[in-house]
Amino acid sequence: MSAGVAFRIALRFVLLLAAQVFLFNQIAWGWGGREYLFVFVYPLFVALLPLRAPRPLVILLAFLLGLAVDFFSETLGLHAGALTFTAYARPLVLRALRPRDGYNIKATPTTADLGAGWVSQYLSFLLLLHLLAFFLLQTFSIFFLGEIVLKTALSLPASLLTTAILVLLFSPKA
Amino acid sequence: MGRLLRIILNSGGLFTFLLLELASVYLIVHHNDAQRAIWAETKSVYGSYLTQQLNEKLAFLDVARENEILRRENAALLARIPGSGYNTTVDTLPVRDSVYQQRFTYLASRVVNKSPYGPYNTLIIDRGSNLQVERGQGVLADGGLLGVVSEVTPRHARVISILHLDTRISAGLDNNSFGTLRWDGRDPRRVTITDMPDYVPVAPNDTIYTTGYSNVFPTGLPIGTVESSTPLPGTGSQDLTVVLLNDPLQATNGYIVRDLFKEELERLNTVR
Repeated sequence: MSAGVAFRIALRFVLLLAAQVFLFNQIAWGWGGREYLFVFVYPLFVALLPLRAPRPLVILLAFLLGLAVDFFSETLGLHAGALTFTAYARPLVLRALRPRDGYNIKATPTTADLGAGWVSQYLSFLLLLHLLAFFLLQTFSIFFLGEIVLKTALSLPASLLTTAILVLLFSPKA
Repeated sequence: MGRLLRIILNSGGLFTFLLLELASVYLIVHHNDAQRAIWAETKSVYGSYLTQQLNEKLAFLDVARENEILRRENAALLARIPGSGYNTTVDTLPVRDSVYQQRFTYLASRVVNKSPYGPYNTLIIDRGSNLQVERGQGVLADGGLLGVVSEVTPRHARVISILHLDTRISAGLDNNSFGTLRWDGRDPRRVTITDMPDYVPVAPNDTIYTTGYSNVFPTGLPIGTVESSTPLPGTGSQDLTVVLLNDPLQATNGYIVRDLFKEELERLNTVR
Protein backbone atom coordinates (compact mmCIF):
# COMPACT_ATOMS: atom_id res chain seq x y z
CA MET A 1 0.00 0.00 0.00
CA SER A 2 1.69 3.16 -1.17
CA ALA A 3 1.77 6.41 0.76
CA GLY A 4 -0.55 7.98 -1.78
CA VAL A 5 -3.22 5.37 -1.25
CA ALA A 6 -2.89 5.69 2.55
CA PHE A 7 -3.21 9.45 2.29
CA ARG A 8 -6.31 9.18 0.08
CA ILE A 9 -7.88 6.76 2.55
CA ALA A 10 -7.16 9.08 5.49
CA LEU A 11 -8.54 12.06 3.59
CA ARG A 12 -11.67 10.12 2.67
CA PHE A 13 -12.05 9.09 6.28
CA VAL A 14 -12.10 12.71 7.46
CA LEU A 15 -14.24 14.04 4.62
CA LEU A 16 -16.89 11.32 4.86
CA LEU A 17 -16.97 11.72 8.64
CA ALA A 18 -17.47 15.46 8.33
CA ALA A 19 -20.07 15.08 5.57
CA GLN A 20 -22.05 12.53 7.52
CA VAL A 21 -21.89 14.35 10.83
CA PHE A 22 -22.38 17.93 9.76
CA LEU A 23 -24.56 17.53 6.70
CA PHE A 24 -26.41 14.23 6.36
CA ASN A 25 -27.13 13.71 10.04
CA GLN A 26 -29.35 16.77 9.81
CA ILE A 27 -31.50 15.04 7.19
CA ALA A 28 -33.96 12.79 8.94
CA TRP A 29 -37.54 12.40 7.93
CA GLY A 30 -40.42 10.68 9.60
CA TRP A 31 -43.88 11.08 11.04
CA GLY A 32 -45.60 10.80 14.37
CA GLY A 33 -42.56 12.10 16.22
CA ARG A 34 -40.39 9.26 14.96
CA GLU A 35 -37.80 9.28 12.24
CA TYR A 36 -37.80 6.64 9.55
CA LEU A 37 -35.59 7.99 6.80
CA PHE A 38 -31.86 8.39 7.31
CA VAL A 39 -29.12 9.18 4.85
CA PHE A 40 -25.86 7.37 5.43
CA VAL A 41 -22.86 8.15 3.27
CA TYR A 42 -19.99 6.94 5.46
CA PRO A 43 -20.35 3.27 4.34
CA LEU A 44 -18.81 4.59 1.12
CA PHE A 45 -15.51 4.61 2.99
CA VAL A 46 -15.61 0.85 3.47
CA ALA A 47 -16.87 0.32 -0.05
CA LEU A 48 -14.02 2.28 -1.63
CA LEU A 49 -11.18 0.57 0.23
CA PRO A 50 -8.89 -1.43 -2.10
CA LEU A 51 -10.19 -4.92 -2.87
CA ARG A 52 -7.01 -6.61 -1.61
CA ALA A 53 -6.80 -4.72 1.66
CA PRO A 54 -6.33 -7.11 4.61
CA ARG A 55 -9.67 -8.00 6.07
CA PRO A 56 -8.78 -7.31 9.74
CA LEU A 57 -7.51 -3.89 8.71
CA VAL A 58 -10.72 -3.12 6.84
CA ILE A 59 -12.76 -4.16 9.88
CA LEU A 60 -10.61 -2.09 12.23
CA LEU A 61 -10.84 1.03 10.05
CA ALA A 62 -14.60 0.55 9.76
CA PHE A 63 -14.91 0.28 13.50
CA LEU A 64 -12.90 3.46 14.00
CA LEU A 65 -14.97 5.43 11.48
CA GLY A 66 -18.21 4.15 13.00
CA LEU A 67 -16.98 5.10 16.44
CA ALA A 68 -16.07 8.57 15.20
CA VAL A 69 -19.55 9.04 13.69
CA ASP A 70 -21.02 7.79 16.95
CA PHE A 71 -19.14 10.37 18.96
CA PHE A 72 -20.81 13.15 17.04
CA SER A 73 -24.22 11.50 16.89
CA GLU A 74 -24.44 10.63 20.61
CA THR A 75 -25.23 7.02 19.70
CA LEU A 76 -22.11 5.36 21.05
CA GLY A 77 -21.59 1.92 19.47
CA LEU A 78 -24.46 1.96 16.98
CA HIS A 79 -22.64 3.11 13.85
CA ALA A 80 -19.49 1.31 14.96
CA GLY A 81 -21.27 -2.03 15.28
CA ALA A 82 -23.13 -1.67 12.01
CA LEU A 83 -20.10 -0.60 10.00
CA THR A 84 -17.96 -3.34 11.55
CA PHE A 85 -20.52 -5.82 10.31
CA THR A 86 -20.56 -4.21 6.89
CA ALA A 87 -16.80 -4.43 6.67
CA TYR A 88 -16.89 -8.07 7.67
CA ALA A 89 -19.56 -8.79 5.06
CA ARG A 90 -17.79 -6.90 2.25
CA PRO A 91 -15.77 -9.93 0.99
CA LEU A 92 -19.00 -11.93 0.84
CA VAL A 93 -20.61 -9.25 -1.33
CA LEU A 94 -17.50 -9.16 -3.47
CA ARG A 95 -17.59 -12.90 -3.92
CA ALA A 96 -21.28 -12.80 -4.83
CA LEU A 97 -20.67 -10.06 -7.43
CA ARG A 98 -17.48 -11.53 -8.85
CA PRO A 99 -17.17 -11.06 -12.65
CA ARG A 100 -16.94 -14.20 -14.75
CA ASP A 101 -13.14 -14.07 -15.01
CA GLY A 102 -12.51 -12.89 -11.46
CA TYR A 103 -11.11 -9.64 -10.19
CA ASN A 104 -8.06 -8.04 -11.68
CA ILE A 105 -5.14 -8.03 -9.24
CA LYS A 106 -5.03 -4.26 -9.18
CA ALA A 107 -8.79 -3.83 -9.39
CA THR A 108 -10.43 -1.06 -7.39
CA PRO A 109 -14.15 -0.82 -6.67
CA THR A 110 -14.64 2.10 -9.05
CA THR A 111 -16.73 2.72 -12.15
CA ALA A 112 -13.54 3.04 -14.17
CA ASP A 113 -12.40 -0.46 -13.30
CA LEU A 114 -15.58 -2.50 -12.96
CA GLY A 115 -18.30 -0.43 -14.56
CA ALA A 116 -21.24 1.61 -13.30
CA GLY A 117 -23.61 -1.34 -13.12
CA TRP A 118 -21.27 -3.37 -10.92
CA VAL A 119 -20.61 -0.40 -8.63
CA SER A 120 -24.32 0.34 -8.19
CA GLN A 121 -25.03 -3.31 -7.31
CA TYR A 122 -22.05 -3.37 -4.95
CA LEU A 123 -23.13 -0.18 -3.23
CA SER A 124 -26.75 -1.25 -2.89
CA PHE A 125 -25.79 -4.61 -1.35
CA LEU A 126 -23.39 -3.01 1.09
CA LEU A 127 -25.87 -0.30 2.03
CA LEU A 128 -28.65 -2.86 2.46
CA LEU A 129 -26.53 -4.92 4.85
CA HIS A 130 -25.36 -1.82 6.65
CA LEU A 131 -28.84 -0.40 7.09
CA LEU A 132 -30.26 -3.72 8.28
CA ALA A 133 -27.47 -4.09 10.81
CA PHE A 134 -27.79 -0.48 11.91
CA PHE A 135 -31.54 -0.59 12.44
CA LEU A 136 -31.30 -3.95 14.14
CA LEU A 137 -28.82 -2.47 16.57
CA GLN A 138 -30.95 0.66 16.91
CA THR A 139 -34.17 -1.16 17.79
CA PHE A 140 -32.04 -3.78 19.52
CA SER A 141 -34.64 -6.49 19.22
CA ILE A 142 -35.79 -8.77 16.43
CA PHE A 143 -39.35 -8.16 17.64
CA PHE A 144 -39.30 -4.82 15.80
CA LEU A 145 -38.74 -6.52 12.45
CA GLY A 146 -41.46 -4.47 10.75
CA GLU A 147 -39.88 -1.25 11.93
CA ILE A 148 -36.45 -2.42 10.78
CA VAL A 149 -37.74 -3.30 7.32
CA LEU A 150 -39.66 -0.03 7.02
CA LYS A 151 -36.67 2.08 7.99
CA THR A 152 -34.41 0.15 5.65
CA ALA A 153 -36.87 0.44 2.78
CA LEU A 154 -37.07 4.22 3.24
CA SER A 155 -33.40 4.85 3.94
CA LEU A 156 -31.89 2.60 1.28
CA PRO A 157 -32.97 4.60 -1.82
CA ALA A 158 -32.02 7.91 -0.21
CA SER A 159 -28.60 6.68 0.91
CA LEU A 160 -27.97 4.89 -2.37
CA LEU A 161 -28.88 7.98 -4.36
CA THR A 162 -26.64 10.19 -2.22
CA THR A 163 -23.63 7.87 -2.38
CA ALA A 164 -24.08 7.38 -6.13
CA ILE A 165 -24.10 11.14 -6.63
CA LEU A 166 -20.96 11.43 -4.50
CA VAL A 167 -19.23 8.72 -6.52
CA LEU A 168 -20.25 10.33 -9.80
CA LEU A 169 -19.23 13.82 -8.62
CA PHE A 170 -15.80 12.97 -7.30
CA SER A 171 -15.12 9.67 -9.17
CA PRO A 172 -12.64 8.69 -6.46
CA LYS A 173 -9.66 6.46 -7.07
CA ALA A 174 -9.03 3.67 -4.68
CA MET B 1 2.11 -14.27 21.10
CA GLY B 2 3.28 -14.17 17.52
CA ARG B 3 1.46 -17.40 16.83
CA LEU B 4 -1.71 -16.00 18.33
CA LEU B 5 -1.38 -12.91 16.15
CA ARG B 6 -0.88 -15.08 13.06
CA ILE B 7 -3.98 -17.11 13.88
CA ILE B 8 -5.98 -13.91 14.25
CA LEU B 9 -4.67 -12.57 10.97
CA ASN B 10 -5.23 -15.87 9.14
CA SER B 11 -8.79 -16.19 10.38
CA GLY B 12 -9.90 -13.69 7.72
CA GLY B 13 -10.95 -11.03 10.15
CA LEU B 14 -13.40 -13.18 12.08
CA PHE B 15 -11.65 -12.51 15.38
CA THR B 16 -11.36 -8.82 14.68
CA PHE B 17 -14.98 -8.72 13.65
CA LEU B 18 -16.25 -10.54 16.72
CA LEU B 19 -14.08 -8.51 19.07
CA LEU B 20 -15.10 -5.15 17.65
CA GLU B 21 -18.73 -6.17 17.32
CA LEU B 22 -18.80 -7.20 20.97
CA ALA B 23 -17.17 -3.90 21.88
CA SER B 24 -19.85 -2.09 19.89
CA VAL B 25 -22.67 -3.95 21.57
CA TYR B 26 -21.09 -3.24 24.93
CA LEU B 27 -20.91 0.45 24.11
CA ILE B 28 -24.49 0.44 22.87
CA VAL B 29 -25.81 -1.18 25.99
CA HIS B 30 -23.86 1.05 28.33
CA HIS B 31 -24.31 4.40 26.62
CA ASN B 32 -27.80 4.36 25.10
CA ASP B 33 -30.86 4.45 27.31
CA ALA B 34 -33.37 2.83 24.93
CA GLN B 35 -31.10 -0.08 24.06
CA ARG B 36 -30.17 -0.56 27.70
CA ALA B 37 -33.83 -0.87 28.64
CA ILE B 38 -34.45 -3.39 25.86
CA TRP B 39 -31.34 -5.30 26.85
CA ALA B 40 -32.44 -5.47 30.48
CA GLU B 41 -35.90 -6.67 29.45
CA THR B 42 -34.52 -9.28 27.07
CA LYS B 43 -32.07 -10.46 29.66
CA SER B 44 -34.75 -10.85 32.29
CA VAL B 45 -37.07 -12.73 29.91
CA TYR B 46 -34.53 -15.11 28.40
CA GLY B 47 -32.32 -15.21 31.45
CA SER B 48 -35.05 -16.56 33.69
CA TYR B 49 -36.09 -19.08 31.04
CA LEU B 50 -32.48 -20.17 30.62
CA THR B 51 -31.94 -20.43 34.35
CA GLN B 52 -35.07 -22.51 34.69
CA GLN B 53 -34.02 -24.87 31.93
CA LEU B 54 -30.54 -25.12 33.36
CA ASN B 55 -31.85 -25.88 36.82
CA GLU B 56 -34.09 -28.61 35.47
CA LYS B 57 -31.19 -30.16 33.61
CA LEU B 58 -28.82 -29.90 36.56
CA ALA B 59 -31.28 -30.92 39.27
CA PHE B 60 -29.97 -34.47 39.32
CA LEU B 61 -26.51 -33.30 40.36
CA ASP B 62 -27.93 -32.53 43.78
CA VAL B 63 -29.80 -35.79 44.13
CA ALA B 64 -27.21 -37.56 46.29
CA ARG B 65 -27.32 -34.84 48.91
CA GLU B 66 -31.11 -34.62 48.71
CA ASN B 67 -31.31 -38.37 49.13
CA GLU B 68 -29.14 -38.24 52.21
CA ILE B 69 -31.34 -35.54 53.71
CA LEU B 70 -34.48 -37.53 52.94
CA ARG B 71 -33.04 -40.69 54.39
CA ARG B 72 -32.20 -38.94 57.63
CA GLU B 73 -35.66 -37.49 57.72
CA ASN B 74 -37.15 -40.93 57.10
CA ALA B 75 -35.05 -42.38 59.88
CA ALA B 76 -36.18 -39.65 62.26
CA LEU B 77 -39.81 -40.22 61.30
CA LEU B 78 -39.57 -43.99 61.54
CA ALA B 79 -38.08 -43.67 65.01
CA ARG B 80 -41.29 -41.99 66.11
CA ILE B 81 -43.83 -44.58 65.03
CA PRO B 82 -44.98 -46.91 67.84
CA GLY B 83 -43.56 -50.07 66.27
CA SER B 84 -40.03 -48.84 66.67
CA GLY B 85 -40.24 -48.66 70.43
CA TYR B 86 -38.79 -51.40 72.62
CA ASN B 87 -41.47 -52.84 74.85
CA THR B 88 -40.11 -52.76 78.37
CA THR B 89 -43.12 -54.23 80.14
CA VAL B 90 -42.23 -57.67 81.44
CA ASP B 91 -44.80 -60.42 81.15
CA THR B 92 -43.67 -63.23 83.32
CA LEU B 93 -45.76 -65.21 85.71
CA PRO B 94 -44.16 -66.78 88.77
CA VAL B 95 -46.47 -69.07 90.64
CA ARG B 96 -46.28 -69.28 94.42
CA ASP B 97 -47.16 -72.79 95.46
CA SER B 98 -46.10 -74.57 98.60
CA VAL B 99 -46.51 -78.08 97.19
CA TYR B 100 -45.15 -77.59 93.75
CA GLN B 101 -42.12 -75.41 93.81
CA GLN B 102 -41.79 -73.25 90.70
CA ARG B 103 -39.24 -74.75 88.33
CA PHE B 104 -39.93 -73.09 84.98
CA THR B 105 -40.87 -69.48 84.39
CA TYR B 106 -41.99 -68.09 81.06
CA LEU B 107 -41.02 -64.75 79.67
CA ALA B 108 -43.17 -63.34 76.90
CA SER B 109 -41.31 -61.87 73.95
CA ARG B 110 -42.04 -60.71 70.46
CA VAL B 111 -40.30 -61.90 67.34
CA VAL B 112 -38.61 -58.86 65.88
CA ASN B 113 -36.57 -60.42 63.08
CA LYS B 114 -36.58 -63.59 61.06
CA SER B 115 -34.09 -65.01 58.65
CA PRO B 116 -35.39 -65.71 55.16
CA TYR B 117 -36.70 -69.24 54.88
CA GLY B 118 -33.92 -71.72 54.27
CA PRO B 119 -32.29 -74.76 55.78
CA TYR B 120 -30.90 -72.72 58.70
CA ASN B 121 -33.76 -70.67 60.08
CA THR B 122 -33.09 -68.29 62.93
CA LEU B 123 -35.05 -65.47 64.47
CA ILE B 124 -34.51 -62.61 66.89
CA ILE B 125 -36.68 -61.91 69.92
CA ASP B 126 -36.79 -58.71 71.92
CA ARG B 127 -35.73 -60.07 75.27
CA GLY B 128 -32.13 -60.41 76.33
CA SER B 129 -29.69 -60.80 79.19
CA ASN B 130 -31.25 -57.84 81.01
CA LEU B 131 -34.13 -60.20 81.80
CA GLN B 132 -31.99 -63.29 82.46
CA VAL B 133 -32.35 -64.76 79.01
CA GLU B 134 -29.44 -67.15 78.52
CA ARG B 135 -27.94 -69.39 75.94
CA GLY B 136 -29.68 -72.74 75.71
CA GLN B 137 -33.09 -71.67 76.93
CA GLY B 138 -36.03 -72.97 74.98
CA VAL B 139 -38.65 -70.84 73.30
CA LEU B 140 -42.29 -71.89 72.93
CA ALA B 141 -44.88 -70.50 70.59
CA ASP B 142 -48.49 -71.08 69.66
CA GLY B 143 -48.82 -74.33 71.60
CA GLY B 144 -45.67 -75.83 70.15
CA LEU B 145 -41.92 -75.34 70.07
CA LEU B 146 -40.17 -72.43 68.44
CA GLY B 147 -36.50 -72.98 69.06
CA VAL B 148 -33.52 -72.60 71.36
CA VAL B 149 -31.74 -69.39 72.32
CA SER B 150 -28.23 -69.32 70.87
CA GLU B 151 -26.93 -65.77 71.27
CA VAL B 152 -27.84 -63.15 73.83
CA THR B 153 -27.38 -59.39 73.88
CA PRO B 154 -28.62 -57.10 76.67
CA ARG B 155 -31.97 -56.50 74.97
CA HIS B 156 -32.29 -59.17 72.33
CA ALA B 157 -31.63 -62.83 71.75
CA ARG B 158 -31.14 -64.98 68.71
CA VAL B 159 -33.16 -68.16 68.54
CA ILE B 160 -32.25 -71.20 66.49
CA SER B 161 -35.58 -72.34 65.15
CA ILE B 162 -36.53 -75.99 65.37
CA LEU B 163 -36.58 -75.70 61.58
CA HIS B 164 -32.79 -75.61 61.55
CA LEU B 165 -30.57 -78.43 60.39
CA ASP B 166 -28.52 -78.29 63.59
CA THR B 167 -31.44 -78.47 65.98
CA ARG B 168 -31.42 -81.45 68.31
CA ILE B 169 -34.21 -81.73 70.88
CA SER B 170 -35.12 -84.65 73.05
CA ALA B 171 -38.68 -85.78 72.29
CA GLY B 172 -40.69 -88.87 73.01
CA LEU B 173 -44.03 -90.60 73.32
CA ASP B 174 -46.14 -90.73 76.44
CA ASN B 175 -44.90 -94.26 77.12
CA ASN B 176 -41.50 -92.83 78.08
CA SER B 177 -39.68 -94.00 74.98
CA PHE B 178 -37.76 -91.15 73.41
CA GLY B 179 -35.58 -90.09 70.54
CA THR B 180 -34.03 -87.00 69.01
CA LEU B 181 -36.05 -84.44 67.15
CA ARG B 182 -34.39 -82.95 64.10
CA TRP B 183 -35.39 -81.33 60.85
CA ASP B 184 -34.34 -82.56 57.44
CA GLY B 185 -34.63 -79.16 55.83
CA ARG B 186 -37.39 -79.99 53.39
CA ASP B 187 -40.89 -79.55 54.74
CA PRO B 188 -41.44 -76.77 57.30
CA ARG B 189 -44.52 -78.55 58.64
CA ARG B 190 -42.82 -81.88 59.40
CA VAL B 191 -39.89 -82.88 61.57
CA THR B 192 -38.24 -86.23 62.13
CA ILE B 193 -37.55 -88.17 65.32
CA THR B 194 -34.54 -90.42 65.04
CA ASP B 195 -32.98 -92.94 67.39
CA MET B 196 -36.37 -94.19 68.52
CA PRO B 197 -36.04 -97.94 69.36
CA ASP B 198 -37.81 -100.02 66.73
CA TYR B 199 -39.59 -102.26 69.24
CA VAL B 200 -41.64 -99.35 70.57
CA PRO B 201 -45.14 -99.60 69.11
CA VAL B 202 -46.02 -96.42 67.31
CA ALA B 203 -49.35 -95.69 65.71
CA PRO B 204 -50.20 -92.76 63.48
CA ASN B 205 -51.61 -89.74 65.33
CA ASP B 206 -49.73 -90.60 68.51
CA THR B 207 -48.71 -87.40 70.22
CA ILE B 208 -45.07 -86.46 70.60
CA TYR B 209 -44.05 -84.65 73.78
CA THR B 210 -40.95 -83.02 75.05
CA THR B 211 -39.07 -85.17 77.52
CA GLY B 212 -37.37 -82.51 79.58
CA TYR B 213 -34.18 -84.52 79.64
CA SER B 214 -32.21 -81.75 78.00
CA ASN B 215 -33.33 -79.09 80.51
CA VAL B 216 -34.36 -76.90 77.64
CA PHE B 217 -38.10 -77.47 77.68
CA PRO B 218 -40.34 -78.64 80.49
CA THR B 219 -41.53 -82.22 80.43
CA GLY B 220 -44.68 -83.16 78.59
CA LEU B 221 -45.22 -80.28 76.23
CA PRO B 222 -46.93 -81.49 73.04
CA ILE B 223 -44.89 -81.02 69.87
CA GLY B 224 -46.86 -82.76 67.16
CA THR B 225 -48.46 -85.99 66.01
CA VAL B 226 -46.89 -89.00 64.34
CA GLU B 227 -47.64 -89.29 60.67
CA SER B 228 -45.67 -92.42 59.81
CA SER B 229 -42.84 -94.57 61.10
CA THR B 230 -40.02 -96.13 59.14
CA PRO B 231 -37.91 -98.86 60.75
CA LEU B 232 -34.25 -98.65 59.81
CA PRO B 233 -33.02 -102.19 59.23
CA GLY B 234 -29.89 -103.21 61.09
CA THR B 235 -29.83 -100.28 63.49
CA GLY B 236 -32.56 -101.28 65.87
CA SER B 237 -34.18 -97.89 65.56
CA GLN B 238 -36.97 -96.30 63.60
CA ASP B 239 -37.60 -92.85 62.21
CA LEU B 240 -40.89 -91.09 62.94
CA THR B 241 -42.25 -88.38 60.73
CA VAL B 242 -44.02 -85.87 62.94
CA VAL B 243 -46.47 -83.18 61.90
CA LEU B 244 -45.91 -80.08 64.00
CA LEU B 245 -48.74 -78.57 65.97
CA ASN B 246 -47.64 -75.04 65.21
CA ASP B 247 -46.03 -73.22 62.32
CA PRO B 248 -42.69 -71.89 63.56
CA LEU B 249 -42.29 -69.78 60.44
CA GLN B 250 -45.32 -67.69 61.29
CA ALA B 251 -44.68 -67.21 64.99
CA THR B 252 -44.94 -63.63 66.22
CA ASN B 253 -44.66 -64.28 69.94
CA GLY B 254 -42.28 -66.51 71.81
CA TYR B 255 -42.28 -67.64 75.43
CA ILE B 256 -38.79 -68.06 76.73
CA VAL B 257 -38.52 -70.94 79.14
CA ARG B 258 -36.29 -70.31 82.10
CA ASP B 259 -35.27 -73.31 84.14
CA LEU B 260 -34.71 -72.22 87.74
CA PHE B 261 -33.00 -75.51 88.54
CA LYS B 262 -30.62 -75.37 85.67
CA GLU B 263 -27.48 -74.64 87.66
CA GLU B 264 -28.26 -77.42 90.10
CA LEU B 265 -28.83 -79.94 87.36
CA GLU B 266 -25.73 -78.87 85.48
CA ARG B 267 -23.67 -79.36 88.60
CA LEU B 268 -24.92 -82.93 88.76
CA ASN B 269 -24.09 -83.48 85.10
CA THR B 270 -20.49 -82.33 85.55
CA VAL B 271 -19.79 -84.70 88.51
CA ARG B 272 -17.98 -87.82 87.37
